[in-house]
Amino acid sequence: MSAFADWARRATDPRQAKEKPEALPGVRVLELCPGHFGGMVAASILGEFGAEVIKLEPPGGDPARMYAPEGISIAGTGLPFLSEARNRRFVTLSLENEEGRGLFRRLAQGADVVVTSEGAARMEEMKIGYEALSRENPGLIFLALSAYGSFGPDARRRVKDADILCQALSGAPYIVGEPESGGSPPEPHQAPTRLGNWHAWFIQGLWGAFGVLAALNFRSESGKGQFVDVSGAEALMKFADYNVTWMHTAGKARERVGNFDPAVFPYTYIRCKDGYTFIAAYNDEAFESLMTIIGHPELTRDPRFSTPTARVRMENEKALLEILEEWSTTRTAGEILREVEDYTSRKRGPGAAVVTGRVNRPLETLGEANWWERGCFTRVQDPVYGDLLLAAPPWKMSGTPARLQSVCRPPGADNGEVYCGLLGLSGADLDSLSARGII
Amino acid sequence: MSGFEEFAEEAFSLAGIAAKPEALKGIRVLELATRIFGPATSDYLGEFGAEVIKVELPLRGDLMRYVAPQGFFWKDVSPAFLPLNRNKLHVAIDVRLPEGKDLFTRLAEKSDVVVENLRAGTMDEWGIGYLQLRECNPRLVYAANSGFGQWGPYSQGRASYDATAQAVSGFSAITGFPGHPPVKAGFWVGDYTAALFSAIAILAALASRRRTGEGQMIDMSQAESMIRTLDWTWPYAGLTGKDRERAGNQDVALPPSGIYRCADGFVAVSVRDEEERAGLLKAVGPASPGTGSTGETGALPPERVAAFTAARTREEILRISEGAGFSAARVVGGGEQYNDPHLRARGTVWELDDPLYGRIDEFGPGPKLSESPGRIKWTAKPVGYHNEQVFGGLLGLSPAEMKELARKKVIGKWADVPGARPPKASPPGGPGKVGGGSIAG
Repeated sequence: MSAFADWARRATDPRQAKEKPEALPGVRVLELCPGHFGGMVAASILGEFGAEVIKLEPPGGDPARMYAPEGISIAGTGLPFLSEARNRRFVTLSLENEEGRGLFRRLAQGADVVVTSEGAARMEEMKIGYEALSRENPGLIFLALSAYGSFGPDARRRVKDADILCQALSGAPYIVGEPESGGSPPEPHQAPTRLGNWHAWFIQGLWGAFGVLAALNFRSESGKGQFVDVSGAEALMKFADYNVTWMHTAGKARERVGNFDPAVFPYTYIRCKDGYTFIAAYNDEAFESLMTIIGHPELTRDPRFSTPTARVRMENEKALLEILEEWSTTRTAGEILREVEDYTSRKRGPGAAVVTGRVNRPLETLGEANWWERGCFTRVQDPVYGDLLLAAPPWKMSGTPARLQSVCRPPGADNGEVYCGLLGLSGADLDSLSARGII
Repeated sequence: MSGFEEFAEEAFSLAGIAAKPEALKGIRVLELATRIFGPATSDYLGEFGAEVIKVELPLRGDLMRYVAPQGFFWKDVSPAFLPLNRNKLHVAIDVRLPEGKDLFTRLAEKSDVVVENLRAGTMDEWGIGYLQLRECNPRLVYAANSGFGQWGPYSQGRASYDATAQAVSGFSAITGFPGHPPVKAGFWVGDYTAALFSAIAILAALASRRRTGEGQMIDMSQAESMIRTLDWTWPYAGLTGKDRERAGNQDVALPPSGIYRCADGFVAVSVRDEEERAGLLKAVGPASPGTGSTGETGALPPERVAAFTAARTREEILRISEGAGFSAARVVGGGEQYNDPHLRARGTVWELDDPLYGRIDEFGPGPKLSESPGRIKWTAKPVGYHNEQVFGGLLGLSPAEMKELARKKVIGKWADVPGARPPKASPPGGPGKVGGGSIAG
């Protein structure tokens, strides 16, 4: 490994993180997002960078604890919640009556950020909307997460924001998956296809965290807080390439093309002996390299493939895929990677841009030592939730690295610390609030 | 109109944005990157007011300029290139030449952030990596974006694109239908997701620098970014030793939420809790005629939801959902988004009057900020378009010095090819006079 890589490893190895300072100490985040995974992501990201996150759950627990694929839950909490409940304190609070809302207002007075998925109108009804809170705390950054956004003609639509709604509205599924082949009825898989994970919820949370960080930067100059409005649909929509630009310039909407691509080819998954692997070579030099690797250098002069524009005609993409698979189906993904690397390591520059990578099942990813060496996964032994495998923060940073500090706690586990420590309530106050179902 | 609606009308008025301050004003970002991962990272910062200087190689520039859907160029620029490169100043330097390195280093001295996405270690080999640049600018935040990171077994010499990250992370294996091949997302999700993670880390590092005055290096991997977004995939594998399987259009964590075919397209049906489940059950009706739905328990199978949606239009299902108390949304594509009054009212479809290209509608900023909103000021420009503005204005080079550097091919402008050059129909008014943005050195 190069001297630079050695230095980079020493400087950014996540195993050293806990000895270093954090990026966001002293930033307090209140998370009021029952049933909403996007809000958890936004708060987790800030928490991984060292913000102090207080999650407010209804007494009895956040409905998101009930999300349990295959019915699997641990101590009353499903795996989706456990995957994103890191680095926060768990406080219960009912907003059903005036007293609970009063406690919320007091917590918000001492907070830098409120993250909520409750809807601007409902927050206003409860007298804990942005305007009310910012009068008492003008530096407050108020992040509102929803499917359509808090303003605009569709903002009044009554939906409970969820990943599948945001995906649908984002335009992502519309361009993911197989087109219809003309059969009647069309086959079920020839449909706009959802991204298998909660990607819209993730990207909504990430844009939320981005908005908060931009607002914190502005507050450091101006002292002013602000309202940050994030639609989960728009968050993911922004990733849908040139959808809008192509409509404007060519009057064309993108349609599904399966694993092909309308703008670059080869850029697809090819079958191999042990599954699928990605193959790309998307300029002329790289294409020539790839054709040499597969033993068909003459195809660079074939009029179907001789220019990037010719290669993205759909019938030519299909013809080229067949040629590539004649080669790839006699090899494993690992053999293909080695052949590509052998060739490209001898050839620097544009010709080296032949790219491949195995289409891994999750257990195959977990079986590769690389990710463990890089600290991408962590096994945590939690006193309540047991042995858990989690994705670690993805950033490696030399100065103020993100880190995973805790996994999850039961609802209300931190009530005493927060209500007594932050708001100065007594033990008797807590008992009384608890008896009346407020916490 | 509620109090909030009155507030929002004022606070988020598109007409009011130009007069408001920008959240990241005063932060200068130096970009040496190609295609998507790096350019999108600095685009996101530029939308909120950072000044982004995009460095390309003279003549052909960023290879993304030649990624054109169906080979289509509009006014000699690819519509796929534009939305990644807004609000940037375009300069062209051959950083592989000694004088090019020197110019780049002088720009880095005056910058807050460097964003690059070359193969791991390339910048260091060229003498303009983090270790060299921090010598002249210890406050520098340096984002090294790559496929597999700057160190570790997969990092050395291995290139990566968006779909590499989709593939190796496990993302594609859980996307698509059982019994069919894994699906590559038809958009470059492995690039944008990682770019957003990178932009967030840059903002966190800048927050830290406000206190300490010190910069740092960020090592950001595409594949690792995608791994972080796979929610319950990892605890499930850890607990059961099993692979999460492809579930097609069903969200198996929130059954029977999913995407369903209806009479005129597709619709997403969502059920987040018991209340919504009861609402959907009421709308779908009893399992067999004659049995009432009252008291019906157990799962509502997706097949029954599918039968319900198949017979109705998207709008009917939306209307029914609002009455019955479950959630639904249309599955839309670019055509509907482009014409959607809601997205236009929010500036999500942003109507831009560009000084070089004229009217061009693009995606606007993601988060909407009431006090310091993001904005699109101009779109991407030809290679080297802002050379004079940056080299003259920021570095103080004289016209004679620039001419000499151009003669030695250290700096340069566009090649006369579609993708790199200005539109033929409307030649620019002259370098430095158009394209917006002013620089104070």
